Amino acid sequence: MEERIELPEAEGAERKIVGFFCRECAYAAADATGNARVSLPPTIRSVLVPCTGRVSPLHLLKALADGADGVYIAGCLVGQCHYREGNLYALDRIEFARALLESVGVEPERVRMFTMSAADSPKFVEAARKMHETISNLPPLQRK
Amino acid sequence: MRCGVFLCECGGNISGVLDLDSLADATRGSGGVVSISRNQFMCGTEGRRLIEQAVEDRGLDRIVIGACSRRFQGPTFERIARELRLGENAVAFANLREGCSFIHRDEPAKAQRKAEKIVAAAVARAGFQSDLPRGRTFLHRSALVVGGGIAGITAAEELAGAGIDVHLVEREQSLGGYMARLSKTFPTEDCAMCSLAPQLTGAALEPRIHIRTLTDVTEISGPPGEFRVKLRQRPRFVSEACVGCDDCTPACPVSVSSEFELGVAKRKAISRPFANAVPSLYAIDKRGQAPCKSACPAGTSASGYVALVAEARFDEAYRVASEPNPFPSVCGRICTHPCESACVRGEVDEPIAIAALKRFVADRVGPETVVEKAPLVHSEKVAIVGAGPAGLTCARDLAKLGYQTTVFEALPVAGGMLKTGIPDYRLPKDVLGREIDQIAALGVEIETGQRAGKDFTIDGLLADGYGAAFLAVGLQKSSEVEIPGAELEGTLRAVEFLRRLNLGEQVQVGDRVVVIGGGDVALDAARSAIRLQKSSGREPDVTLAYRRTREEMPALDEEIEQAIEEGLKVEFLVAPLEIVGKEGRLSALKLQRCELGEPDSSGRRRPVPIDGDFSELEADNVVFAIGQDIVADFLQGCEGVEIAGSQIQIDPDTLMTKKTGVFAGGDAAATGGWTAIEAVAAGSRAARSIHNFLRAEALLEVWPAKDVEARPDADELAAAEVGQRTAVPLRSGAERRGSWEEVVGAYSEEQAIAEANRCLNCAVCSGCESCVRACPAGAIELDQVETIEELAVGAIIVATGHKEFDARRKRPLGFGRFDNVVTHSQLARLLAPSGPTAGELKRPSDGAVPKKIFMLQCVGSRDCTSSGNEHCSAICCLFATLHASLIKQHYPDADVTIGYTDLRAPGKSHEEYYRLVQERGVRYVRSRAGEILEEPDKSLLVRFEDTITRRKNEELFDLVVLAAGLEASSGTTEIAHVAGLQQGSAGFIKEYHPKLRPVDTQRAGIFVAGTAQGPKSIPDTIAQAKAAASRVVSMLSAGYVLTPAQVASSDVEQCIGCGICEEICPQSAVALTAGDSPHAVVDANSCRGCGICAAECPSGAMTLGGFSDEEILAEVMV
Repeated sequence: MEERIELPEAEGAERKIVGFFCRECAYAAADATGNARVSLPPTIRSVLVPCTGRVSPLHLLKALADGADGVYIAGCLVGQCHYREGNLYALDRIEFARALLESVGVEPERVRMFTMSAADSPKFVEAARKMHETISNLPPLQRK
Repeated sequence: MRCGVFLCECGGNISGVLDLDSLADATRGSGGVVSISRNQFMCGTEGRRLIEQAVEDRGLDRIVIGACSRRFQGPTFERIARELRLGENAVAFANLREGCSFIHRDEPAKAQRKAEKIVAAAVARAGFQSDLPRGRTFLHRSALVVGGGIAGITAAEELAGAGIDVHLVEREQSLGGYMARLSKTFPTEDCAMCSLAPQLTGAALEPRIHIRTLTDVTEISGPPGEFRVKLRQRPRFVSEACVGCDDCTPACPVSVSSEFELGVAKRKAISRPFANAVPSLYAIDKRGQAPCKSACPAGTSASGYVALVAEARFDEAYRVASEPNPFPSVCGRICTHPCESACVRGEVDEPIAIAALKRFVADRVGPETVVEKAPLVHSEKVAIVGAGPAGLTCARDLAKLGYQTTVFEALPVAGGMLKTGIPDYRLPKDVLGREIDQIAALGVEIETGQRAGKDFTIDGLLADGYGAAFLAVGLQKSSEVEIPGAELEGTLRAVEFLRRLNLGEQVQVGDRVVVIGGGDVALDAARSAIRLQKSSGREPDVTLAYRRTREEMPALDEEIEQAIEEGLKVEFLVAPLEIVGKEGRLSALKLQRCELGEPDSSGRRRPVPIDGDFSELEADNVVFAIGQDIVADFLQGCEGVEIAGSQIQIDPDTLMTKKTGVFAGGDAAATGGWTAIEAVAAGSRAARSIHNFLRAEALLEVWPAKDVEARPDADELAAAEVGQRTAVPLRSGAERRGSWEEVVGAYSEEQAIAEANRCLNCAVCSGCESCVRACPAGAIELDQVETIEELAVGAIIVATGHKEFDARRKRPLGFGRFDNVVTHSQLARLLAPSGPTAGELKRPSDGAVPKKIFMLQCVGSRDCTSSGNEHCSAICCLFATLHASLIKQHYPDADVTIGYTDLRAPGKSHEEYYRLVQERGVRYVRSRAGEILEEPDKSLLVRFEDTITRRKNEELFDLVVLAAGLEASSGTTEIAHVAGLQQGSAGFIKEYHPKLRPVDTQRAGIFVAGTAQGPKSIPDTIAQAKAAASRVVSMLSAGYVLTPAQVASSDVEQCIGCGICEEICPQSAVALTAGDSPHAVVDANSCRGCGICAAECPSGAMTLGGFSDEEILAEVMV
């Protein structure tokens, strides 16, 4: 990988994190968070998917390739997927993407998976903040 | 694309943070955007008019809505698009409210930049969105109502009134739900059952309501309008013939805690929860078969006779014990009792002494039981060869079936190995004799001194008019001993040694005896040798030599222990190598030392010789107990029967040998271990098979199907008090050594009853069949099985209710630990005139009427700790007020205190009722309770803080009642999973929209009513049930619905037919076409649009409508 340029923490260096949220649990928790007026880092960009099982490795990698510094999937608790095992498929694909990234020298922690119930807004907030923190502590993702 | 962007101010919710004009400016340049507008409420009429206008004026084909989350108003805008003939997928959403203005209020500049990106993403996405085809589904005019409480009953009645067929499904045995358990209802104080009973009867009589109780919904598939529903109905074991006379419950010996009475009373295994139950039939709580029954080769209902012994009903217990086994007194002594090894009580402390109980009851009732000759029904005679347990059981069972049977026995006495193998100190001969006499009394002829192949032949019998024969010849000789010196004088074979001894021959042993082997026969030989030595005045010197260790010994533990007590010496890990002789007589035994190696085919570790490690034991006798062989002389004149490896070859299904009409079983043709109980079981099976053979019809099951094994759940096991089994009297080892008297004594009546009461009733129903005998209507059907039924319904109402918060989770409050801490639901039972105390308030510990009562509110509600729930349970303040009022009216002197957090009495007439009850003298204290302690007299010391005066108090009460809050019932959680519904906090079903669509769920066509949706009072529940019914009526009245737009579809050209989608689809909505080039086809009615298939598809043929790769990526990339 090419050498990274140390960028000063300036306005221009604002990061972008794409979150794929399932409509059954995570997006519901996101809406609950909004309704409760809880502040979240503006880096997070939410994308609604019906089930985390809809998200393919292509979506994860394309997001990184085209401008995101981090990407995560948030879905139902393990065992409580509304489509039985969609979140387990998602977990597999996250692992796949992480391995792929690692093999080309990109930090695998840029890609993560979180699970939560529809009612668990605090867990949603925690996931968003954790993701923001992780990505803020990493340099912007360099692309060719 | 001609795209219009519509920005919503949301009454300031969005525009208060975002500058919408500048947002519009930033959006103007985006490709394809031809119009931008803003409005205060885009979801309102004005917003709709704006959209309509723009579509018409500017020729829009795509719409971008910048407003709240798609999860809220998405359907509103999709509907507008549909009605404007753009198709619902013409709308893209920019979540400016929950996704931006609400969460970034403190960073408006960043929020603004983010909003621009979100809108741009939506515009880009819109460019990829295309119209989605939709089909029509015609609606079934029927509904499923899940849950038979007041909500379900009300909804069902309402639907039936609208002419809709209703399937009302309840998992308990009766409709009624929680309301049936209440004594009275607030604020009117009218009796709950008086309101409920007419509703119950109404539902039962309404022809359009089809009631199914004991039923679970296991699957819901298909689209709204034609849901396919799978129902699993558990067997009731009582037929419609039940007249409700209640003769069965006194006959049932099993009592368990009553679910209906919420643990404040017991019920029988056969029961009906309350008098007005619908259906009015009783039901048997039979959860399978107890492990003791499963473990018994003969299928004896051990739990059945144990339960009857516990009730001192010995005659009936004897019936249960002797029905499958003609040797209960024998087996009570010498059985290997696999039932005890399986006994679940053994996981708590020690297994029930099942064999000892069997012996007690068989010895007590057996001798006085008069057996009458069984009537002959059939003309065929059956010959049985061998009068051991297999042969005699077969003869008995055939005699009971109406056949003339003759048992031919080679020896001068009947009994087989029971007689010739087992010494008197274990099994007194009169006990065996009595049970054989009872078999003979049925009309079974026993001819002793008749050896097959010599005195008669099987072929001769068959030619002589016998219709069938059963070979139960046993293994009558010891296996060959293949070590040097085996022929020397002084070596003995255990089977022959024991036979001579037990037939009364004079047998002597030398001063030093070594027995080789580790099974029961070896121990019988060893212990007999000890007695022979002692009774001839010598000090016993008997050594048992075994190749492995104690752990691998097949003999019963108690046998080994008793033998050692009697002075047996044991050498482990030694194998006989050679018998050393002097002048033709043995003098010593040379042994090879072994160690344990890998397990062999029996699962036991194999003994492996240690090179060069030998020892020698001086001995006068060596007894070999290392296995038995068949004596095959019966084959003479028995053409066609084959033997291999010491076993007669049989068809394991029918027990028939290779010769038609000749069957075999017991040790000579074993299908299990070589034990007495296996022989009894084989005899029974043979009798059934012979009956089928003779009648040329499969009338009886040779191998009865085993029921699933039942056991108490972990909670019940944890609650069982740890004790120990009642010891049987046992004479001391020293006293026993020289005596042939029976070693083990019998239980007294008191001991037997105490021991039987330790039973945990694993399957609840003990299988004793007392109810079958007691029922005058013949309504008991113990062979009923679970049924699965499939229905098609148009709509579904979920009314699965709540459960009470488990107050044990609040340990300091003592619930579950202290007798006199109860919940309000339990108190309702104690106050109900139909309850266990007939309405008298009696405290659980001593039945005294409590004078001082403390009611503690908010137990598990309004509680932010991890052991409680955050929500207010809504009904508890009034529930406590009602109970306090009832107590005050019944017992004016009672002192009732309600300790509340905040008193909440909204709702019609509730505040007035609260005032009235205050006036009745109930004390309300705003307080917080710290802990509750139990005094020696079972009174309760409550420590609480008065939260108004801030004073800490301690007060003694006779009874404490906890207002345990409401949580979703397990049925609610299960149906949520089955139906794919969302659950919110405490598990309550989430409604589609908390205000606008309060009885709709997230899944179209499924509605919710009652406490499944959240805590609420009875009037609110009924109102909601009627609302849900009304939603169903309006939905079904439309005649048809459109299939969902957002479904998967596969491109025939691209599909490679790999079948991954078919395999992974959670709805089984995808199938491959048949033929040479299969491709995937999606059933749009079953697909629920998750998209797992689209992500897994390796060829890219599968896509999800509304969520194609292009649509998703467009949002990601901007």
